[in-house]
Amino acid sequence: MPYHEFKCSVCIPERKKHAVVKGPGETLADALPLGYMNTIPGTISERGCAYCGAKHVIGTPMKDVIHLSHGPVGCTYDTWQTKRYISDNDNFQLKYTYATDMKEKHVIFGAEKMLKKNILEAFKAFPKIKRMSIYQTCASALIGDDIEAIARDVMAELPDVDIFVCNSPGFRGPSQSGGHHTINIAWMKDKVGQVEPKITSPHVINYVGEYNIQGDQEVMVDYFKRMGIQVLSTFTGNGSYDELRSMHRAHLNVLECARSAEYICNELRVRYGIPRLDIDGFGFKPLSESLLKIGLFFGIEDRARAIIEEETARWKPELDWYKERLRGKRVCLWPGGSKLWHWAHVIHEEMGVEVVSVYTKFGHQGDMEKGISRCEEGALAIDDPNELEGIEAMETLKPDIIFTGKRPGEVAKKMRVPYLNAHAYHNGPYKGFEGWVRFARDIYNGIYSPIHQLATVDISQDEIPADRGFLTQRLISDEKLGPEITAAPGLRQYTGKYDNLAELRQRKYPVFDAPPAPAEAKPALEAVGA
Amino acid sequence: MENLMKEQIEQLLDYIMKNCLWQFHSRAWDREKQNENILQKTMQVLCDEPVALETPADRCYWVDAICLAKAYQSRFPWLSQMGKPEIKLLMQGLKDRLDYLTIKGSLNLELTDQHY
Repeated sequence: MPYHEFKCSVCIPERKKHAVVKGPGETLADALPLGYMNTIPGTISERGCAYCGAKHVIGTPMKDVIHLSHGPVGCTYDTWQTKRYISDNDNFQLKYTYATDMKEKHVIFGAEKMLKKNILEAFKAFPKIKRMSIYQTCASALIGDDIEAIARDVMAELPDVDIFVCNSPGFRGPSQSGGHHTINIAWMKDKVGQVEPKITSPHVINYVGEYNIQGDQEVMVDYFKRMGIQVLSTFTGNGSYDELRSMHRAHLNVLECARSAEYICNELRVRYGIPRLDIDGFGFKPLSESLLKIGLFFGIEDRARAIIEEETARWKPELDWYKERLRGKRVCLWPGGSKLWHWAHVIHEEMGVEVVSVYTKFGHQGDMEKGISRCEEGALAIDDPNELEGIEAMETLKPDIIFTGKRPGEVAKKMRVPYLNAHAYHNGPYKGFEGWVRFARDIYNGIYSPIHQLATVDISQDEIPADRGFLTQRLISDEKLGPEITAAPGLRQYTGKYDNLAELRQRKYPVFDAPPAPAEAKPALEAVGA
Repeated sequence: MENLMKEQIEQLLDYIMKNCLWQFHSRAWDREKQNENILQKTMQVLCDEPVALETPADRCYWVDAICLAKAYQSRFPWLSQMGKPEIKLLMQGLKDRLDYLTIKGSLNLELTDQHY
């Protein structure tokens, strides 16, 4: 697995250890990109800061909270609504953003009085909200404002409110991942164990590392509820502040994004003995196995199996329709962190695409270990690429589509390479069985959009073909397919609704009487239908 | 014979690396526990031996083990031709190889970090 040197980065030799090509027969012990390192001066990294990682990835998805940044207004405004982590309380946490609006005079004279005034104003403006999180920024950290002391003052004055202080200024770590770490540990240390929850099921989980992007959490929680599982808290998408204070009472931590939230799972395991089960909510096979594992843990695997059978029968024919049309398409899987390994193998197996490159902006070497293991030979794995490296990779690899964030996505579009928003999604949710079909549908729409017929033509110099008409999406995608596929009776395009969450929010869930006895250790394989 | 076992171990290993996440916990001591417990329980399931399920942690290891054992049995028909001693030898070889790739030979610089 040789290290790969970009031509554009020859002048920055440190970059060479940040990219490798997965070679035949080579292993993780032969080469692994460096990761989670301080930015190399001159590379123009595209990573986010530790403040953004703490607040906008993990803190802000909490739905019933005023999220206040103590710092210049730009810190909060420029990171506001960068992700579509919706909630079932009318998106309170997305609609509003709050900042103390620090200016130069506060840097000189301090901003603690202003902070207290802002906190009181915010609670007054939203009297139904009694919870707040306050985020340190570089400016307020450098002048040494004591946010904890101000928060204690306010809580003494207003006994019905509770405030969480997150001390993760932008410089606290090489990337947003430093902020993920800080807020995990801070929440564990300051808030977990403060609330005793009402337990309503013999099977209780925390759903961790899930941010409800376009409704992912609600889709997964629906499955859990159908299995009779109580989801005590979600860390943190669509999550409630007080539910997250009661995480210590769960029986199992079900972890999705290990990159952003493994820390709190590990701490809960050490302090409270709650085991950590890593799952994949993306893709039919990984999701099925994940539900089955949770079912096995509680001895209710039959309930998991019923859901898997029902959902697979409903959605698999639609996934396969897209698979036939996506087969062999070249994909650069360039997300921020965990999706490089959540998706690397399963988009190949279940959608037929070829992953020619994986990258991560802020992942650690552990994420690269997972991602490289899961992608096919020949893939180029890059840690923290800059824009020029991304352009060079696109020119070399000639992908049909890029799965990435908005900023690199816009660069790809200018190179006439379609992109799909891997962070906030195009038309999600992408988790769940139906969600996976929606993802395939979006990939299909991205690759086969008729706009490419026009977008790739330079009218100032290219000859415009006048001998053929404009091709529709279907004409392009089906051009080389035989009738055994185009007329296959079992396959069909996506038939779900534009909003597939509305029904979930109205669903009545079964009440299970007595908890079944946990599965015996033997015969073990019968338990999973082997 | 030795080469055959090596090849079989690589097949079992490839399945884990492609499909599982449990082997990549973030610290070396975590990986040692994960590899040890899950592969031991997988071996017990494959050999039809009793599996300890006394603690929540045991159950958590067990669910990963049982899914792995099921996948192995469905993908690798040669497993059913093996006797228990051979399976145990094979699984020990698999553990050694997995330990090497994820712990002893790993290039991940964060594995030895003392804190989470």
